[in-house]
Amino acid sequence: MYYKSLGYRVFNVFNIGFLIFLAVLCIVPLIHVLAISFSSKAAADASLVGLWPVEFSIEAYKKTMNNPAFLRSILISVARTVLGTAVTLAVTFLAAYPLSKDNSVFRSRSFYSWLFVFSMIFNGGLVPFYIVIQKLGLINSFWVLVLPATVNTFLVILMLNFFRGIPKELEEAALIDGAGHFKTLFRIYLPVSLPSIATIALFSMVFHWNSWFDGLLYLNDSRDFPLATFLQTVIIQRDMSSMSMSPQEMELISQTTVNAAQIFIGALPILLVYPFLQRFFVKGMTLGSVKE
Amino acid sequence: MKRMKKTWPFHVMLLPAVICLFLFSYLPMGGIIMAFQNYKPWLGLSGSEWVGLDNFRYLFERQDSMQVILNTLVIAVLKIVFNLLIPFGFAILLNEVRKTAVKGTIQTLVYLPHFLSWVILGGILIEMLAVDGFANRILGMFGVDPIFFLGDNNWFRFTVIISDVWKEFGYNTIVFLAALAGVNPTLYEAAEMDGASRFRQTLHITIPSMLPITVVVGTLALGNVLNAGFDQIFNLYNPLVYEKGDIIDTFVYRTAIINGEMGFGTAIGLFKSVISMILILVSYRMAYKWAGYRIF
Amino acid sequence: MKQRKKWMPVLASLVLAGSLTACSGGSEAEQPQTPSAEPKSENVYKEKYDPEVTISTVWGIDPTLQYKNGETIENNVATKWAKEKMGINIKTLWSITDTNGAFGTKLRLSMSSGQDMPDIVTLGNENNQLAQDLIDSGMFADAGALFDQYASDNWKKAMDLDPGVWNQYTRDGKRMGIPVLDYAYNHDYVLWIRQDWLDKLGMSAPKTMDDLEKVMDAFRNQNPSGLAPDKVTPLSIGFKTSMNTWMADPSWIFGAYGTLPQQWNEGADGSLEYGSVNPAMKEGLLKLKEWLEKGYIPKEAALWDENKTAEPAVAGTAGIIPGPYWMSGWPLSDTVKNDPDAVWKPIPIPVGPDGTAMRHGTHYTNGVTLINKDMEHPEAFFTYQNYLFDNYASAGPGSEFENGLFEGYDYQLDENGKMIPNDEIDGGFVNALRYLLVRDGARIPDAQMKALMKLADGAEPESRLEKEVAVNYGKDTPEAAKVLLSQEEISKKNLFTGPTTETMKSKWDYLTKIENQIMNEIIYGKQPVDAFDTFVQTWTAGGGEQITKEVNEWYQSVK
Repeated sequence: MYYKSLGYRVFNVFNIGFLIFLAVLCIVPLIHVLAISFSSKAAADASLVGLWPVEFSIEAYKKTMNNPAFLRSILISVARTVLGTAVTLAVTFLAAYPLSKDNSVFRSRSFYSWLFVFSMIFNGGLVPFYIVIQKLGLINSFWVLVLPATVNTFLVILMLNFFRGIPKELEEAALIDGAGHFKTLFRIYLPVSLPSIATIALFSMVFHWNSWFDGLLYLNDSRDFPLATFLQTVIIQRDMSSMSMSPQEMELISQTTVNAAQIFIGALPILLVYPFLQRFFVKGMTLGSVKE
Repeated sequence: MKRMKKTWPFHVMLLPAVICLFLFSYLPMGGIIMAFQNYKPWLGLSGSEWVGLDNFRYLFERQDSMQVILNTLVIAVLKIVFNLLIPFGFAILLNEVRKTAVKGTIQTLVYLPHFLSWVILGGILIEMLAVDGFANRILGMFGVDPIFFLGDNNWFRFTVIISDVWKEFGYNTIVFLAALAGVNPTLYEAAEMDGASRFRQTLHITIPSMLPITVVVGTLALGNVLNAGFDQIFNLYNPLVYEKGDIIDTFVYRTAIINGEMGFGTAIGLFKSVISMILILVSYRMAYKWAGYRIF
Repeated sequence: MKQRKKWMPVLASLVLAGSLTACSGGSEAEQPQTPSAEPKSENVYKEKYDPEVTISTVWGIDPTLQYKNGETIENNVATKWAKEKMGINIKTLWSITDTNGAFGTKLRLSMSSGQDMPDIVTLGNENNQLAQDLIDSGMFADAGALFDQYASDNWKKAMDLDPGVWNQYTRDGKRMGIPVLDYAYNHDYVLWIRQDWLDKLGMSAPKTMDDLEKVMDAFRNQNPSGLAPDKVTPLSIGFKTSMNTWMADPSWIFGAYGTLPQQWNEGADGSLEYGSVNPAMKEGLLKLKEWLEKGYIPKEAALWDENKTAEPAVAGTAGIIPGPYWMSGWPLSDTVKNDPDAVWKPIPIPVGPDGTAMRHGTHYTNGVTLINKDMEHPEAFFTYQNYLFDNYASAGPGSEFENGLFEGYDYQLDENGKMIPNDEIDGGFVNALRYLLVRDGARIPDAQMKALMKLADGAEPESRLEKEVAVNYGKDTPEAAKVLLSQEEISKKNLFTGPTTETMKSKWDYLTKIENQIMNEIIYGKQPVDAFDTFVQTWTAGGGEQITKEVNEWYQSVK
């Protein structure tokens, strides 16, 4: 076996060392944020915190947890993420199948695929989009967080490329048995595509969890904000250059430690879900088949 | 075999996606006409004054616009290249780690920065890359003079690209790892039988099996060739690096968003879309012609 | 590929269909729904409306605003108060937490999509361009006429302190928006200096630029707290976005040589000139360059914004920080937590070689309130604001608001009837002022300074304002106010307050960009100081001359 050779063992040691170094490099900022969230306010404001908390305090977490708006926004985020991912998966899965066919089999394929690609590149801008959302009655509706993001051309393209990797023989066998396209899609394609579905689910989840701008623009009531929007509104500093300032306000704005706590809590769910999904799709892949 | 010839199921399957596209992409595209107007919100699309190509002319009239477009291209292209190459290499290296726990942990960790927004990272980076900051202290140990990473025109682009790669490479690895996991193990077994070294296996099995997905991701990324990363630049730049750091989006932000010149903003958007469209068309053709590979 | 061409017309028609829907949607709704209200008879104005009247509005919610008792922006102690006291219903069309210009964007979008405009909308200076656009949209009423008709004497008197506050919102002599008044001097600078360091060094407060250099040198090289020279920030300033902002900018350094950058000043001939192109800038730039080399100012001042400059000050490693009089409350009160010996004191702005000193001044207004021309009862808005100007703005002992707006929200009394500090209020301090229709409620420009001066002379706080500053502002605030007023004559406001001129719209961003670039490059030694002359030429030729002309035309028209 190759991994028993001396050369490979030496390589392996260096390789792991190098990868660990990269991994550490990546988490330094997050540790910094974590350290700030557990530090006292005065130390954080003076930028004295490095990678370890200064004057340890859990005050920031208490404040965050006592904020009902924060907790509520987590629920809304979970709801939109679950629903949004489900809708995206269903629509993407369905759309990718015909698009993965050859032009000779599905003659309108070119038209459809350009329809998708074109939509990815051109957009009308914020104002017309807002007008459409308004005419559809989606302003101030929870569904505005779910529906407009349903089709992501990038995901459709990923999915259809996964489909193309599925051996033709499988499909042909099914069709000979008299199965229609729908049956083929759900009986044959679905079971072997779990890993790719997991990948797409992950992309979609991350997208929904981190989206904030839609909530801000299309929801009229800040109590309905998802977490990312909520975080955005508390963390981002205001453009203060032209505002009349008073010490009371500045005191409230500089909530360095509370912000850090919220950033951390906000990233937590994805951090927890990710390793789980990762294992799931690596496992599922072994069922997967060779490409081309 | 007759059922196979029927294509109506295909149209049905595409219907939900097409409805969504129509509602949320194609309807709003009507707004593109703003690019040719001196758009005033209270006059609406039908009432605003037509100005032809004035909005585009303005972009090219500015003394600095060529520099700004060049900055955008350089930064974006380098980002695209490194954001392909580094995750590609990283995925291969990570794939060699056979201890699942170690592999999983590393993968989870490198993935973290993706979740921090540039607003937060901007603050942290400004601190860490300061002249007396963390990065320079480390370099100082090797006898390197302090580098003004964010305030020196020669270093700024480098800093922007490296920090972007650093933020995104872990996340970009996902697609490649998925492709790697999909490689048929029997291929390796056969190679092993033939006595091929791991390096040769990588060269002849692993890399070729990743190429299709690389082409897909690369082609799609070309659509971003005029997106150099507004959030990042906006949070990191300062007047000292305007020369090499100002990009189209920051420029649009200063004129269009702050001054509310929406016609101008739309014009820039259209300009960027057209360029992206051309690039995607070209690369689509190239991928098809040379690699026989259809992306979409 | 043939397929694609065949479908192109279809695509094109799809797009067209989209545009048609969008534009018909937009324009239809933009027609005024009802003809503007017919002239009202004189006695519509009431202290209390019965039946109740409704004022609709939209809110850009301050991100720091807290709620208590399950209240919301739609329904809270202030809306209840308006209903009970005056019979006015405040109806919220929508609200949005205002970060990164979200309120402006949303308002712009709802204006564009033809949604109903609110009866009353208040916009801060940060949304000035939007305010100008809204005025030009013709959807809002001649607010000046309504003001003359309905505003109370107290409010009118406050407004008269500076008739210039209307300038920005005036169109053809009509005053289309009511300026939101702010306290005077809120952004005017003093220097905050570490008195404990001065004392240990046996030095006195610097009065001139030369003195200042000696002090900075001593702070750095013989640091009284024993800090190594490269750990000290003798003068904490930054200019990441601007040389002229609300805290810790270097504008006053240029002031010592006779100009204030990034604002319009009156030149010797009485016309307006842009401060950044005045030749006096060169001397200031050279000074900054020298100080940067000597380590008096942060090495990365070009990257530092307002918050960043506060960091070394709070950490106890900065010796001097320029800024407003209220800084002893925030952030300087936190310094003692990191350095127990720290004592900050306010001192006047030092003078230059020929005795000149200048600091940028503060306008009496920080925004505008617009009144919808279709509003049914515009007089109700005046009932509401008059009440606040008459009873809240200068509330004395014994009045309804003698301690603040609403007990348990923005103030609380202990068992002896004394006001307790904000952070000790049960359930937390809530800035209930933010619940009011006009932000900050009602401010009389000179009231804050008057209150502070009284306290500085050792008087006991009596009025609402005096109590507020005594309890909640830093203990050195009255003294800082005194220092501020001792230099009243050096305060120079930006004299151009008109709407953006035509050439500004297209050229200003470019001009600002090259301006910022050249200043920074000279300070950092990347360009010789003579490059400033080239910059002035480029600036003038690149639209600056035209803009100066337009600005002066405006100036003549309001003089």
